[in-house]
This record gives sequence, structure tokens and C-alpha cells, in this order.
Amino acid sequence: MNTAVLVNFLGFSTVLAPLLFLLVIGCSMLLQYELSEVAVGRWMKGTIGFGLLTSVSILAIMLLARSFREVVDLGNLVTIEDVHFHFHLSFIFDRLSVPMVILSLVLCFTIGSFGISYLHRDNGFHRFFLFFSMFAVGMVFASLAATIETLFLGWEFVGLSSALLIAYFHERVSPVANGLRVWTVYRIADAAFLAAAVLLHHETGEGQFIGMMSSEPWPYGVSTLDSVVAFWAGLLLLIAAAGKSGLIPFSGWLPRAMEGPTPSSAVFYGALSVHLGAFLLLRVSPIIDQSFPLRCLVIAIGLITAIYAAFTARVQTDVKSSLAFASLTQVSLIVVEIGCGFLYLALIHMIGHACLRTLQLLRAPTLLRDYKTLENALGGSLSVRAPAWIKWTSPSIQRRLYRAAMERGYLDAILDECFAKPFLRIFNAFDRLERSWICILSGEPLKATSKLNMETNTKKPIGTTHDSAPIPSSTREHS
Amino acid sequence: MNVTVESKSTNESAASIVRHAIDHAAHYLPSQGPIAVFVHHNTLHAFESMRFEEAVEAGYNKYGSQPYWPEARYRKEYARGRITDKDIDAVLLDDLRQHGLEEIAQGTTRFELYQSLMKSPVLEGSDAELRWLTAQTDALDHFCQGVSEAVKSQMVDTMRHWTMRDLRTANAFRSDIQANVDASKHTENSFAIFKHLEAFFPFSTIEDWSKATWQKWTLHFLWQDCIRAGEATRSRRIAKQPYLRHRDRLLNEVSEDCDLIVHDLLIRFSAAMMDQGVATWQIPNRSEGFYRCFLTLFQDQVPWAERWMAPLAKIIRDEDLISKSPLESIAHSLSVMGVPISEWDSYIERTLLALPGWSGMVDQMATNADWTLSPAKVGSLDEFLAVRLVLDRIAVRFIANKNLCGQKSFHEILQLGSRSAIDSPLASCRQRAFHLFQTAQKLGWDPKLLSQWSTAQWQTIVDELEHCDGVSRRRVFQLAYERNYRIQVLDSISEHARGPLQVPAKVRLQVITCIDDREESFRRHLEELDPMIETFGAPGFFAVPMYFRGAADAHFIPLCPVIIKPKNYVEEVGPLSAVQAELRRSQTRRLLGKASHGVHLSSRSLISGTLTALLGSLSAFPLVARVLFPRLTSRIRSMFAGLVKPTIATRLELERIELTDDDAIDDNPCTEGFTLEEMANAIQRLAGDLGIANKFARLVVVLGHGSSSLNNPHESAYNCGACGGGRGGPNARANAAMANDPRVRRILRERGLAIDDSTYFLGAYHNTCNDAISYFDLERIPQSHQSDFLAASKTITEAAKRNAHERSRRFESIELDSSFDEALNHVEGRSEDLGQARPEYNHATNAVCIIARRGRTRGLFLDRRSFLNSYDPTTDDANGSILTRIMQAAVPVCGGINLEYYFSTVDSSGYGCGSKLPHNITSLIGVMEGAASDLRTGLSQQMVEIHEPVRILFLVETQPEVILSIMSKNPLIDNYIRNEWVQIATLDPNSANIQLFTQSGFHPYTPSEAILPKSKTSLDWYRGWRDHLGFARIESGMVHQEVKS
Repeated sequence: MNTAVLVNFLGFSTVLAPLLFLLVIGCSMLLQYELSEVAVGRWMKGTIGFGLLTSVSILAIMLLARSFREVVDLGNLVTIEDVHFHFHLSFIFDRLSVPMVILSLVLCFTIGSFGISYLHRDNGFHRFFLFFSMFAVGMVFASLAATIETLFLGWEFVGLSSALLIAYFHERVSPVANGLRVWTVYRIADAAFLAAAVLLHHETGEGQFIGMMSSEPWPYGVSTLDSVVAFWAGLLLLIAAAGKSGLIPFSGWLPRAMEGPTPSSAVFYGALSVHLGAFLLLRVSPIIDQSFPLRCLVIAIGLITAIYAAFTARVQTDVKSSLAFASLTQVSLIVVEIGCGFLYLALIHMIGHACLRTLQLLRAPTLLRDYKTLENALGGSLSVRAPAWIKWTSPSIQRRLYRAAMERGYLDAILDECFAKPFLRIFNAFDRLERSWICILSGEPLKATSKLNMETNTKKPIGTTHDSAPIPSSTREHS
Repeated sequence: MNVTVESKSTNESAASIVRHAIDHAAHYLPSQGPIAVFVHHNTLHAFESMRFEEAVEAGYNKYGSQPYWPEARYRKEYARGRITDKDIDAVLLDDLRQHGLEEIAQGTTRFELYQSLMKSPVLEGSDAELRWLTAQTDALDHFCQGVSEAVKSQMVDTMRHWTMRDLRTANAFRSDIQANVDASKHTENSFAIFKHLEAFFPFSTIEDWSKATWQKWTLHFLWQDCIRAGEATRSRRIAKQPYLRHRDRLLNEVSEDCDLIVHDLLIRFSAAMMDQGVATWQIPNRSEGFYRCFLTLFQDQVPWAERWMAPLAKIIRDEDLISKSPLESIAHSLSVMGVPISEWDSYIERTLLALPGWSGMVDQMATNADWTLSPAKVGSLDEFLAVRLVLDRIAVRFIANKNLCGQKSFHEILQLGSRSAIDSPLASCRQRAFHLFQTAQKLGWDPKLLSQWSTAQWQTIVDELEHCDGVSRRRVFQLAYERNYRIQVLDSISEHARGPLQVPAKVRLQVITCIDDREESFRRHLEELDPMIETFGAPGFFAVPMYFRGAADAHFIPLCPVIIKPKNYVEEVGPLSAVQAELRRSQTRRLLGKASHGVHLSSRSLISGTLTALLGSLSAFPLVARVLFPRLTSRIRSMFAGLVKPTIATRLELERIELTDDDAIDDNPCTEGFTLEEMANAIQRLAGDLGIANKFARLVVVLGHGSSSLNNPHESAYNCGACGGGRGGPNARANAAMANDPRVRRILRERGLAIDDSTYFLGAYHNTCNDAISYFDLERIPQSHQSDFLAASKTITEAAKRNAHERSRRFESIELDSSFDEALNHVEGRSEDLGQARPEYNHATNAVCIIARRGRTRGLFLDRRSFLNSYDPTTDDANGSILTRIMQAAVPVCGGINLEYYFSTVDSSGYGCGSKLPHNITSLIGVMEGAASDLRTGLSQQMVEIHEPVRILFLVETQPEVILSIMSKNPLIDNYIRNEWVQIATLDPNSANIQLFTQSGFHPYTPSEAILPKSKTSLDWYRGWRDHLGFARIESGMVHQEVKS
């Protein structure tokens, strides 16, 4: 079929375009051949623009030909026959993925262009665009993925590049510490994702979304899984989505992600990264349909996060945090919509929100001027209105609510206490056990085993070491 | 009873100690106020009573920020010739004076030693690094960098002879009959080295040794000498900064920083307390002040809060903190923490300086920000400190309990690590040895020579080397760097000023601009375009200090230097004929404003946010358009904005309408508008400053300036400094309107300042970012002057375009071969580009301030690096009363700008606010890096990246005696000059003689023989060049070509 060939070709180009950008930037840095800023700009605009062009053409063709699902298959990336493992790389073009990939590419193109002038003359210019291209590749892979392992690949690219961009200013302590923290949360999400993928593979024998969710194109697919499996797989995927989108209880990383330069902030919690979790839920929506408890869980998490984020956004005093939590509010509403089964609404909401928030974030440093303009137009100072109902509550409740919002719902502390600490304790116990076994096996007398150095509050950027070597005075002064 | 009285009085004395300590420490906090009004000031203002060189080192000790550029940076400048050998020699000679010629080693004077240290890099490293370097690399096989070939061969040759003749044979001899040799101790040493090295070199074939082997032998021998010297000598001991705070002790002991957890909370809380409208839900009980608000908010026990904060609620309740005043609370916390009263001063200072940006801002908000929406309560800094110490207390306890065995008391924590010495030697043996090793090579001290040296001699050398340590070398480099530029300035000006005074015989147009360095090129281009144009420079508020409110503005803002408090209110109003239309427009503006405010708020909330987001796809259009086509988008936007903008035909309500007695409000010293007397005073003052009396042209354009840019929290810093970080257009407009008023002219005529009836003043505004010029009150230009205006505006527009072009050579994002129009388009796009981190370079590269008649410098290319203040010494009296008032403004303002640039350049992350890229506007008062950092003060790296950190050189056209007398009457100016925060020189009004001020007073400056290059136009001179440019005579800018002598 002619359309299929054409879509295949165009789809192939859409996937390869950002990959080419990644290769060019990556190889040039690897070979220490420094591309000029202008050249980087041209490559960025050329490749991402080309990807955008092809993806828009696909949309046009699909609308004209009224075919709503095309699969571009690249075959198995890895095949291990003995254990029947195959990593199947294939891409799907349907009502969900095409709008998503167009959104991703439009925003990458815009933010990339913004970054070219914003990072002009910065020491890390090339590094930024290396991560940025990695991010674009991840977004395209994740949006278009037709198998769960392809989605995972894209997901990992996005996660890695996000963490690295947060730690972009690596000469200071806090960006690195916060990047690491975000990375840790992402790892939890990734682990859940991986477990879900294994479970689904195990149950269906393959990772194809089409196979898992029957033959109808999105959003009319029906899952073939039985409801118990659907619940567990869905739960794991929900954890993955919550980690990536900063839903409760993982919301704590959101303000930390602002350490990077403005364009990278715009990409993450403004536009793309933060929506990826919602996108995952959209992609596997047939699984959610399959299990009623799961559906309730999705709605519950979405609602709680929405209320939490709306509260927290109100008390944020810096423009980027306030936008980050405002973003979270909408993302969790999108999750609620997905839970309720309003899939188209969720998709439209997502696209609209991503565009709006990106614009707001890119012009966040103009806040002072914007306020002034508003004041002048209104002819007076801007009123600060606390929500009306707050006035009806007692001062003590107001106070507690405010404090909870200011401390961002204590989520970080709760995670540290309830998850990180027990986790470390278990592994420390294993460590002690292992040491004593070694001692026994090697015939040495049992020593008082020292604890692993990891038992520190995970928030601290400086890994605590118990040897008493003083740190050099220079680092001490500037910390 | 007695006991309570006693404890009360101790409480009081404790509180007064705390009070005193806070006041003292507050002095050292950054004094930058809310960022919406950015006022340039000397970053080290608190140290102004010291000499500059001492102050920068004191600043280093206090803040840990660098006093000068890193040495490597100066070496780069040295390598490219910006610092020359001559400069370094001159500075060293000046420094050392007669001590320079003292011989400190055989054949080497102190001067030569220092010179050798300056001229080639000194490799310094930690002991371990040097150990690796000497053991694992071939560092000992080759001469170090900067040793001349002659010295190398001389050293090797001497060594060769010595080895062959003495060492080898004597050694052989010695081993036979040891007892008979009467070797001195020193030669003994050499023999020992010989013995030590013998095994490593093939002595059997010594006759066949290659050059390389001989070199290696020499250097290894030398190194052994130096090691022994290093061991025999002692280094100066330096006192380490004692660990004052518990946090420092703990950090040193357990490598965990309790400030991190404290700051995380404190920053959020302070931001909420200082918020000017970012959050839509204000902190409860804000009006009760920092301290009580905090205690109320945190009085509840929250089981799932962060663990370290668990004791907080209990402490607040048990110790009844809320009944204590902040000062009592501080005293209480300090005594609980076991800080001896004698150390309170320094403990409080270090504590406040742990988070300088926020502490400073809290202080500023309480003392100096009554213009903001919600300033902080008086005494907020005390409250801030009280809160901070409560948090410090529990954080220290928490970290200590977690990491230290057993329950340590606060007092014990303060003793942690005290056993280690407070002072330690500057360098280790190896470090000393390696330094000596390099020095010996550079100065050609061969081992034979060194074998004669006693330990005392070595010690002298070590002392000298340590005296000329890193900071001293950087200081010398800095002085040399400044000297190099100073000489260029003085040479060029003295040569240029030798010619006739460049005043046009017939003047068609006079343009009065701000003294700002950015207007230098604009004025030059105007003068080049038409020799009959004369330009003047005066502080950009044009002697009209006022509170101003534009027709579409919400508030009055002060437009004058920050040191002046204006007394008059001026409002811009629409014409009476268009009241209805104006009302409609303002209603539409209001409606639009409400709508966009609504979107702003609702996009951040829950329910209405959904609606906003569903329609959010629409924002894809402005998003893409603004990022990709900034200039086009802004044009379309301004087209639409034009529909609701106030009409251009507004006027200023400038004149004071006397109120009847009933209306008069006595308490209010401020008045609406100016009286005619006040107007006449303003014009008279400006005319006097400019020395323009009775020489007005037909058309005089008064040109204020400002700047507009997007995504730039520091936008206000780019505006006119003389308008307190505001835009100077209204001042220019007011000044012109005053000068045109016939009643004002009548008063002036009575006072002897005649302004001809044919003279017309026109107010205008120059946007220095996009080089747009706009004029005010055009519809009032009399018919007789319309053609003058048309001609003038054509020239001015052309000059602005060329100015844009000259500016653009600094921007890498536009090609060097662009045309005037392309350059103008480019700068227009820049000011509207969201992604532009450098809309313009502001005052970067400023280095000079010339206070003189323009005729003395007209036609000289100053590369936008000079403030140009007009002053005519011939119209001034013998005491220099006009000069006094000019300098009272110019010295602190230009000096402040220059010093802020200096400090932000030499330490961008310490004194400056680091890179602009991660900046995040907080509470509408400042910027943080990321979500929770200290408030960053100073200038960003992007603003200063092309700046050359040199102290500003004032060049005043007057006699030195006048300056000295002004200095004696004005302690502020005297302090700036005597403590060398600025440099100053005078230019004789009648000749080209220059006198330069040094510590010992003014001395005649002898210009060097360098010839000032000539160029036809500015374009010819700057074309194709991005970096700083030297001086040149621009012939088309001159009125009289130089008479050939």
C-alpha cells in the first residue's frame, strides 16, 4: 500500500532526525572537534525541523487517508534466543503518538532556538546541546514507541538527560546534589517500569502494545490481560508515571529540578518531561480500563496531587517554583481525566498545558516587568487574594495548612524516613552479614564491622565519610 | 528581688552587646536593595575608609571573595601585550623604591628577584602534587619556563667546569685522605649531593655526556641544593581563620554542614516574609514581624516534619521564646550555645555572613525600602538573626548527635578540633624548595654559587619569595594593568588637547546628553555627521529631581540620583480635548490588564487552570513567534498596543498651582509641580554646570536615556544611574519645558543668564538598548523651528544608527561586516528577544571619567569607555564651586559604577551574582540560583564579560590646587581619591599639561613619545575589530584641523 510505504519512510525519518543530531553533537565532542555555536544551531534547527516536517506530513497523510494506525518496525535490537528475550524496536503512529511527537518536536525546536541565544558564550554550550539532543531523542522514542521496551528506551534517555541538565552547573554543590536526588527518584520509577515490562512480557509473550491491547487503534483498544494481572502491571506503571510526573509521593523533586538554565527548566516541568508519566498512562489506558481498583487508584492519586499542588503553588515565593507546582496541578488533573476515561480531553489538556507553561517559563525572568505592566494597566498595586474559604477556617488550621504547604507537604521528609532509611538499613544489615561471612570463611576473627557510609540523610550533598581527614579549607569556605 | 534586678540588668547589658554587634555586622552586609530599582554602588562600601589595596584583602578575609583576577588571567593579558614589561618594572620600582636596589644574593637585587617572579609563571602546588611532579615527571630534567638560553648555557657550563675540575677530583682525592681536606661546611654539602647523585649518572663516561645529560645533571644537583635549603629554612606562619561557629567545627570534624538544612528552611521562610506579591497566599501573621511570625508558625509539633526540626516546637514552648524580645532571644540562644560573651561580636557577624544575600536584603527591606509594596518592620534583621540562631541551635544538636559518639554539649562542640594549631606555616619544605628551584633557574644561580650560601642567606631569599606571594603578584599585575591603560589615556589626551579648542564657530544644534559612557559614541557620531553640532554631558536628571507618574503608570517613581530626595511631584496628563477618549483608553487598558492578570492567576490554580490550559494550545503561536521572530513579533505587538496606549499629545503638569490657604497641607513638604523660581534654578544650575551661558543654539535637544529589555531581572541596572535606575526621558522633557517657559527666561535674564528668544529646547529620550530616539512635545515646536527640527532629527537618527553599528561590533551574534541598517535591526531584535542574556553591555569597559570642555576631547575616539561630564573652568570661580558640585555627584556615582564592575569582574561568583542563566526571581526582590539559594547581589557574568577591571581615572580640566581644595572640603571625595579607590589627574585649562595624583600629591605627567593614530572616521577605526580599541584622532569629528607646525 502506497500510504503505508510513505508513512514508513516518513516515520523512519522522524525517528532518525533527532538521533542524527545526537550523533553529530556526541561524535564531535568525543573527537574533540568543536562545532561553532552557529553550526550547532544549524544542526539543531535542521534535524529537529526536519523531524517536525515529516511528522506533520504523517499527520496530514493519516488524516487524508483516514488510517489511524501505522507501525514502523526496525526489528529486534537485541535477541537472546536461549531465554526467548528480544528487544523489539518498533514505532507506532496513531492518534496518540502523532500529536505527542509533534508537540515534542515543536517545543524542542522552540526551546532549542531559545537556548542557542540564551547559552551563547556559556562554557557548557555544547554540553547543554548534547543533553538536549539526548532529551529530544528520548521524547521522540517514547512518544512513538510501539513496544514497551522501546518506550522504556526513550524513557531512560529522557530521565538521564533531565538529571544531567539539572546538574548542568556542576561547579556548584546544590545543582549536583539535586540532580542526584531527581535521578534517584527516576530510578525508582524506572525500576517499576522495568518490572511492569517484564510482567507484561511474561503474560503476553511480547511487548507490543497492539498485542497487549487488542487490534483497535488508540483510544479504542481493549486489553487482553486478565484483571488481576492488569491491576499489578497497571500499579507498577502508575508508580513509574508518578515518579516521572512528580505525583504524590514523589512531588518533592519538582522544585529541585530548577537548578538548570531556564530553557532546561522549561523543557522539564514546563512542558515535556513532566507530562511523560501522563503520556504513559494514556498509552496503556486499556490496561487501566481493565481493572476497576486501578482506575480508582489513578483517580485518587491524581486528585490528591492536584489538591496538594494547588495549595503548594499558592505559597511559593519564587517564580519558577510557583510555575512548577502550577504545572503539577494540571498534570495531576490530566491523570484524573485519564482515570475517568476522558482520553481525548486529557490529550488536548496536555498539549494546551505544555504550550502555555513553556511560554510562561521562558518568560519567567520577565516577571518584574510583567507585574509593572499589569500594575500600570490596573492603575494600582496588584491585590493578593488568599482563597476565600481560607478566611473561614480557624487561625490554627490556617497556620498548619500554610506550614504544610510551605514545607511542600513534608513529602521529602516522609520519603526519607519511610523509604530511604529502611532501605538503607536493610542493605547495611546485608553488608554487615556479608562482612561477617567473609570473616568466618577466611578464618579471621570477627571485627567490629563499620557501617556503610551511606547512612546519611539523603538530602545532604556531601557524602559523609567517617575518617577524620579535614576537607580543604577552600571548599569549606565556599560551601 | 535582688536576683531578678540583677538578672534584668545583665539581660539589658547582654541585649546592648547584641544590639551593638548586629549594627556592626550589618555594616558588612551587601547593601543592594530590591532589584526593581538597581543602584550601582561600591561593593566594598563598608571598607572605604581603608586604602583600596588593603580593603580588597580585608574583603577577601571577610567574604572569601577574590581581591584581584586570578594570576593566570593577568598572565594572559601579559602574553597578549596588554601588560608590558615596562609596566611591571615601573610598578615594582615604585613599590620597592630604594629597597629595590639592595642586593639580596650575590649579583641579584631585590628588584631583579621580583621581576623574575612576575615575568614567568611560578609553578605552585600542594606538597603531594610537587612530590609527584618531581618524582614521576621530567620536571627536573628541563629548565622551567621563562629561563633564557643564555642563562641556561651559562649555568650548565659553570656546572660542567665545576664538576670536572673540583667536584669529581676533589671527591676522589677526599676519599683517599679524608682528614686533610679543609672543606667548609658548604662544600661538604656539595660533596654530599655529589655522592647522592653519583649513582644515577654514568660517571665512567663523563667525557661523552651529551648536552642533555649535563643539563639534567645541573638541574638535579640544583634541586638537591634547594631541597637542603628548603629543609634548613623556615616559612612565615600564617594565622588560620579560627573556626568561630559550631557549624564550622562540625563541618571540619564530621564533614556535614548544618547550614544546609537551616538555610533550606530559612530561605523559604525569609522569602515568604519579604514577598512582594509572587505568592497568592501570604504567610499568616506576617504583620507581627519576622520573629513572632516564625514562632507562631512553627509552634505545632508535626510528627512527619523533617527529623532535625522535631525539638523546635518543644523549645519554643518550654523556653517561652515568644515572650522574649528578639534581642533577648539572641542573647539567650548564644548563651545556650555556650558562646563566650567576648566572642558574641564575631559570632554574630559570622552568622549573618553565612547567608549574606538574605541577611542584607532583610536589613535593606527594613531600613531602605519604604517605596516597596510591603516593606519589612524596623529591626527585622534582629528578628532574622534570632530565628536563625534558634534554628542553628537545633541543627547543630541534630548533626552532632547523629555523627559524634555520645552526647556532646555545645561547649564541647566549640572545642572540637581546637587542638590543631591555629597558625600554620605558609609552605612545606618541598614547596619552599621547589620555589627556590625555579627562582634559581630564572636568575641563573648555579650550584657552584649556591654552595657558598649560608642558611641565613637562603632564609633571606625564602623571606623575599614569600613576601612576593600570589596575592602580591596579582596586585602588581593589577597596578601594571591599570598603568598601561592610564598611560594610553593620558598620552592620547595630552596630545589631542595640544591642538586648538574644538568649538564650532557657528552652532546649528546643541545636544545635551547624560554623562553616561554609552553616550560617548553617540555624541561622537553626531559631531562627525555635522561639525556644526555641539554636544554636552550632564548627569541625566538634568537638574530636575522629581517624583514622576506617567499617563499610564500606577505609581509615582523618583527620577533623580539616590542621594537626593525629590521635593516635587510631576504628573503626565492627557490633553483636555481628549478626556473622553483618554478615559476610554484607560478603561480598555484596565480591562485588558484585568484579563491578563486573570490568566496569570488562574493558570496557577486548580479549577480555572484547567480551562486556561485547555485553551493553552493558542499560546503556541506567541511562543514560537516570540522566540523565533522577536523583532517582528514586537512590532505587531506594539501595533496593537498602540490602540490602547495613552495619546502622544500628553503634557506634564509641571507648574505648581499655588493652593489657597484652606487646601494647604502643612505637614507635607512635597509639592505638586515646581514654582517658577525652582524652574529657573534648575535651568541656571544646568547651564552653569555645562558652562553654556549665553551661547545657546537655535535648537537645543535635551536627551535623557534608559534601556528596555526582556527576560532581564536586572533591567533597572541598565537605566540611567543619575535617575536612580529609572528612565530619564521625563527629566529631559521637564527640563526643556522649563527652559522654554518665557516667564522662566525672564527670571533668568534678571539673573544674568540670557536665553535668546530664538532658542528652543526639545526634550528627547534615547533607548540605549535598541538605539531608538523619541521626542517629546513635538506639537509645540514653533513654526519657526520646524525645519530646524526636521534637519536635526535626521542627523540624530543617523547618529543613533551609527551608534548601533559601533555597539554591534562587540556582539558576536552579528557579523562584523554588517551595514548600519542591519546593525540597527539587530539591536532592535536584541531588546525584544526573550532568549537574549546580553541585551546590551551596559557600563562594561568603563574606565575613564573626563570632566572638561568637550572642545578638549572632541574628535578623540574613546571607545565608549569614558564618562563625559561637561565643565568649563573658564566660567568657574577660583574655588571651583561649580566643579565642587559636579564632583560631589560624579566621584561617588561614576566611582561606584566602576567599582561595582571591578568587583563583579574579578570575582564573578563571589562579588557578582554569577551566571544569569539559572537566575530565578524571588519575592520580586532579587534573584536566586535555582529554587533555594542565597540571594545573589552584584552584576552577572554576562554583564561584565568584556569588562576590563581598572579603577576609574578622573581627568579634570582644572588646576591641581582647585582639586586639592575641593578634597580638603569634601571628605567623601578626599577619601575616594586618597585611598585610591579612583585615580585622578588634571588637565591644564590653557595647555596640554597633565598632572597626576599620587600619594604625595599632584606631579606633572610626562607623556611618552607615542604618536596618536589618525583615522578619517570612527567607522574606519573600529571596523572589523571586536576587542577593545585604542585611542585615535577622528578627523571628521574635528572642527579645526590641526595647524601644521
